[in-house]
Amino acid sequence: MNEQTDYRDPEEEALALAQAERLAKAWKTPKGWRYWSAVNNTEVGLWYTGVSFIFFLFAGVLALLIRAQLAVPENDLLSAETYNQVFTLHGSVMMFLFGVPMFEAFSILILPQMLGARDLPFPRLSAYGFWCFLIGGVFVSGSIFFGAAPQGGWFMYPPLSTSYSEGLGPDIWLLGLSFIEVSSLAAAVELIVGVLKTRPPGMRINLMPLYSWYILVVAGMILFAFPPLIAGDLLFEMERAFDWPFFDVSRGGDPLLWQHLFWIFGHPEVYIIFLPAVALVATIVPTAARRPIVGYSWIVLAAVGTGFISFGLWVHHMFTTGMPAVSLAFFSAASEAVAIPTGVQIFCFLATALAGRFVKSVPMLFVSGALAIFVLGGLTGVMVAIAPFDFQAHDTYFIVAHLHYVLIGGMLFPVIAGIYYFFPLITSKKLSDKLGKIGFWLMFIGFNVAFLPMHFTGLLGMPRRVYTYSADSGFGLLNMVSSIGAFVLAAGVAVLVWDVLRPKGKQPTCERNPWGAGTLEWLVEMPGRAWGVRSIPIIRSRYPLWDQPNLMRDVDAGRFYLPDAQEGKRETLISTIIDADPIQCLRVPGPTFKALWAAIFTGGLFIFATYKLYWLAIASGTLALITILIWLWRDTAIIPAKQTKDIGLGVTLPIYASGAKSVGWWAMFITMIGNMSAFNSLVFGYFFFWTVHDDFPPDNTPDLGFWPVAALVAILLSWALTLWARRLNNLDHASGYYAALGLGALLTVAGAYALWAGPHFAGMDPTSNVYPATVWVLVLWCLIHLGIGLIMQLYCLARRAAGRMTATHDIDIRNVALYWHFMAITLATTVAVIAGFPEVA
Amino acid sequence: MMDETQTRPEHAPEVPPGSRESLWLLVSGPTIWAAHFLLSYLAVSVWCAKVAGRAGPLGDIRIAIGVLTALALTGIALTGWGGWRRHRFGEATLPHDFDTPGDRHRFLGFSTFLLCGLSFVATVFVALSVVFIRSCE
Amino acid sequence: MTWREKDRWQRLFSTGAALSILLFSTGCERRQSALHPASVNAERIADLFWWMVGGGLIIWAVVMAIAFFATRAHPEAHGVRSARWLILGGGVAFPVVVLTGLLIYGLMLMPQLSSTADIDLEIDVAGEQWWWRVTYQTAAGEPVELANEIRLPVGQRALFRLTSPDVIHSFWIPPLGGKVDMIPGRTNTLVLEPTQTGTFRGACAEYCGSSHALMKFEVMVMEPDAFADWLNRQAQPAQPPQSESARQGQTAFLANGCGACHTVRGTEANGTLGPDLTHVGSRLSLGAGILPVDPEAFTRWIGHTGAIKPDVKMPSFGMLPEDQLPAMAQYLSELQ
Repeated sequence: MNEQTDYRDPEEEALALAQAERLAKAWKTPKGWRYWSAVNNTEVGLWYTGVSFIFFLFAGVLALLIRAQLAVPENDLLSAETYNQVFTLHGSVMMFLFGVPMFEAFSILILPQMLGARDLPFPRLSAYGFWCFLIGGVFVSGSIFFGAAPQGGWFMYPPLSTSYSEGLGPDIWLLGLSFIEVSSLAAAVELIVGVLKTRPPGMRINLMPLYSWYILVVAGMILFAFPPLIAGDLLFEMERAFDWPFFDVSRGGDPLLWQHLFWIFGHPEVYIIFLPAVALVATIVPTAARRPIVGYSWIVLAAVGTGFISFGLWVHHMFTTGMPAVSLAFFSAASEAVAIPTGVQIFCFLATALAGRFVKSVPMLFVSGALAIFVLGGLTGVMVAIAPFDFQAHDTYFIVAHLHYVLIGGMLFPVIAGIYYFFPLITSKKLSDKLGKIGFWLMFIGFNVAFLPMHFTGLLGMPRRVYTYSADSGFGLLNMVSSIGAFVLAAGVAVLVWDVLRPKGKQPTCERNPWGAGTLEWLVEMPGRAWGVRSIPIIRSRYPLWDQPNLMRDVDAGRFYLPDAQEGKRETLISTIIDADPIQCLRVPGPTFKALWAAIFTGGLFIFATYKLYWLAIASGTLALITILIWLWRDTAIIPAKQTKDIGLGVTLPIYASGAKSVGWWAMFITMIGNMSAFNSLVFGYFFFWTVHDDFPPDNTPDLGFWPVAALVAILLSWALTLWARRLNNLDHASGYYAALGLGALLTVAGAYALWAGPHFAGMDPTSNVYPATVWVLVLWCLIHLGIGLIMQLYCLARRAAGRMTATHDIDIRNVALYWHFMAITLATTVAVIAGFPEVA
Repeated sequence: MMDETQTRPEHAPEVPPGSRESLWLLVSGPTIWAAHFLLSYLAVSVWCAKVAGRAGPLGDIRIAIGVLTALALTGIALTGWGGWRRHRFGEATLPHDFDTPGDRHRFLGFSTFLLCGLSFVATVFVALSVVFIRSCE
Repeated sequence: MTWREKDRWQRLFSTGAALSILLFSTGCERRQSALHPASVNAERIADLFWWMVGGGLIIWAVVMAIAFFATRAHPEAHGVRSARWLILGGGVAFPVVVLTGLLIYGLMLMPQLSSTADIDLEIDVAGEQWWWRVTYQTAAGEPVELANEIRLPVGQRALFRLTSPDVIHSFWIPPLGGKVDMIPGRTNTLVLEPTQTGTFRGACAEYCGSSHALMKFEVMVMEPDAFADWLNRQAQPAQPPQSESARQGQTAFLANGCGACHTVRGTEANGTLGPDLTHVGSRLSLGAGILPVDPEAFTRWIGHTGAIKPDVKMPSFGMLPEDQLPAMAQYLSELQ
């Protein structure tokens, strides 16, 4: 509580102080070694940001090694093998451990503040995601110190990385990064639900901060972009570990399938990295211009439009693979179209700067630098989107230059702007203006000296990913210039790191809202408090701190919602999607080590599998499952002692909500959308092989008999029984509930057996040819999901038996029923494909 | 803080028709674009792989994509017109940033309209491919 | 704040000018340069490139000028109305028009580049880790195999059929045109029509393992008559060794089992794993574009193969008696 808070009378003051004390106690950050059990977004977000920045520095050092090697022709500083590991890790770490996680980290840190929420709806899920990220990231990065790092490039094309790579490199890449993708998906679920459901009362959809629009779009993109890569990783690892020939030409496989799956992920990923950075710009520019953004709707258009169109660009990474010109043309057209929303955003920012009274600041300096760099990168992007020019530029240093202009201008500079802008919000201290300017100019000049010449190096004929070049090639001087620039750029980053790390003990705590911003996150107190906002305000404007008089004073005085924690529980508000009417007071969990343990065991599953220690992997996976079940059993869907709560201002809200009103239901729905996109990728694989081969399925394929249909019938019945059980539970018909769900569980087992039995008794050998391998991988996918579905059914039986679920408090069975809708679709599709399609093909 | 203080409209916030509103309308324009894009790409892939062969002509598939394009553009135009009508609802003008159901309604309408504009252009771009390319080579 | 727009402009232009001088003054770089086109398609692409560069620089400069105006020159507030027009004009109308034009131009160019009509010559090229197996289809019927070298008659359309038996490679001769990937299980095609005679250099553009950087080849565009003579000579079996040293070299070549992987037509060496060496002495480079063709280079290559080209399949023969290496080198250089 700040001294300047003025209360109406001593009575209010006494009440407010008592409330504040209770609130502080409920949100207290654990001390000592228990600090690491914290799950609050401010802690997890800070760790997440710090760790992904450390990965950035690590990958930056790798970049310097690359530039040192290429500074002179025929250099022998690094061997071919080491160089190839270095560039592979540089790309992989920058993309998977910095680009995407940095935005998730930043968003976990500041999104709740922007929405005036106390925390995201699933703090433990964030913590779990963070620990997964840390373990997986250290595992992948550490491999280079043992000379075991992957060396197939960050794109890992087969067959180079399948049949022509010895050692564990590709497995470390596949399993380590799949593990990290899980944490990205966890963050996506968290952020979508966060944006849609935890907005403060009154913050209608037309008043959302632009940042949250971008995060909503980007998290949605993750749901459709990452799963295809997970599906691809599954195929890839099945080939490496068990010899299922998905990419082996001699047995009907096709290396191009990987390229499709990889780039269906890989291109949207560029926008997943870029859009959140634009979100930061969209947050900083109005503050600098001292006025609301001009063209709010246009920016929403740009964010949503880019999100969609970015999924129609993937083949522009495959322009030289020999596909029909007309196919290339579609993707060339979409690649041109995506430039339109990108341009709209830039002009919205220019328009805002024009219409406002522009005030200079270090964050804006970095934004200006970002603009200069990114616009050039965007223009070369328009150039390479024209397929004929890409035939020359593809896989040369021209592309290296282009992508660094896009990513450093479109991501790194805005992120640094964000670091300067938000640093006071996190630490209550400002970074140095002087160091900021020095760092900026070093980075800006160093960057352009390093990367501008690369456009020419590439068109003079230097391919990418070469560990050396000959003296007579004429690339020497340009490369030397680039290397010098890279070290200047690195010096600029070093200045930034020093500015962040230098002791600031003597520096005074900065004033509240130091930049004079209009958005809610600047309600933060200096120094910050664990509760986030003292009370959750009613929002009437896009820039409430500018437009709503006395907002900060009233928030501080606890005059809005949830100013108190009478029961000592952590609570935040859940509101409706469109109009943000408050509908629930959600209790969010406090510190726990369960998330950490679950992450360690999940990590064990992937890491042991990398070393082919399958029994240990299974044991670790089982422990992960048990930990997660204990976590769910004890800490979720808790039936509250009282049903409703007075949240202040005469509003009383329920504490418990199930079905579409609950955040858990939305999380399940969103997770399953992502899950379906992975499954669709596998189905795409099946039909991809069909277009590649004249006979697919091959003529000698055995008939699967009645088994698949039997499986379908059993699973559809199990689905129907699960839905019926949900209904019986609502009617409080206990015996009927147990009977229906129990029978459903039995049918699940029977269905799973029947599904396995079809290809098994037909003698289909997945290593013999790509057809049986494709059938088996679909079956395997279903079996895993049926296993999860079975655990869910048994869990619901146990929940009711234990009295943790009742006729009215039925979150569990409702979420499980939702899962089973998707299960039914998955199984019906699988059976139609593996048993139905061969009949018509 | 702001140079041009905006005041709320004097009259009571008007209630837009249809109280149920969702984000689905917002994304329907781009979804039509995506469907058109995917269908065109799949049609051409299957045609060149299974029917015409790698040196064969695109032939009838160009007409099919033309028809598909006409359908998609009609759908986008209709959705966009719906968005425009929502945007014009009542008397308020841009930027639709009042805390009223009316402005929320208009905002969603205007954004829908803009997204349909983008989707329209993007769909035309994709369709241009089969105007200028006539074979599977 | 030291936001110096002028400084940046000057820096950009001086850098650009320096680079241009660098580019056009030195001759040796042209062999692998896409900016010095020597074929019909490469010229079209280079023209497209320069137009896009010009347009792009203008657009960049205008955007920067607007930013400079709004943030530095006149940071005071301007009307919202003009700001909205800026979005409509600069963010919507202008890009749509420019992109539509550019897209149509690109689409019209694509059928020209991919057309496989009116072919004068057919060449099969297989990319292998890390060299190129080149097979000319001749009118006489018998295909002629060589390695790491391509010669083309000027003014004629050559069709390349591109394959790979191992990993993905990409076939690229920058002055003659765009690249096309070589993908296991597929046969891709590329048509090149050189417009100038001269020597050029090609390279593998798709990362293909340890020695990806060392997978290059020489390209010579010749007058059609000279080309026909050359192809005729390549079709002949190898000349018997002339000098005593070369005879010893041939014996050592056969005795050490080189013939298990290499073919020298006209001898019992008939292996097909490695490059055909029938006329290796007449080639423009050794080891896939990384060494010159002379006896010293042969000695170095045979003696230190793995050190010169990491992970190459051919073992190093440094352990041979020291008189054998020079003899073999002499033999191979005489295979003209």
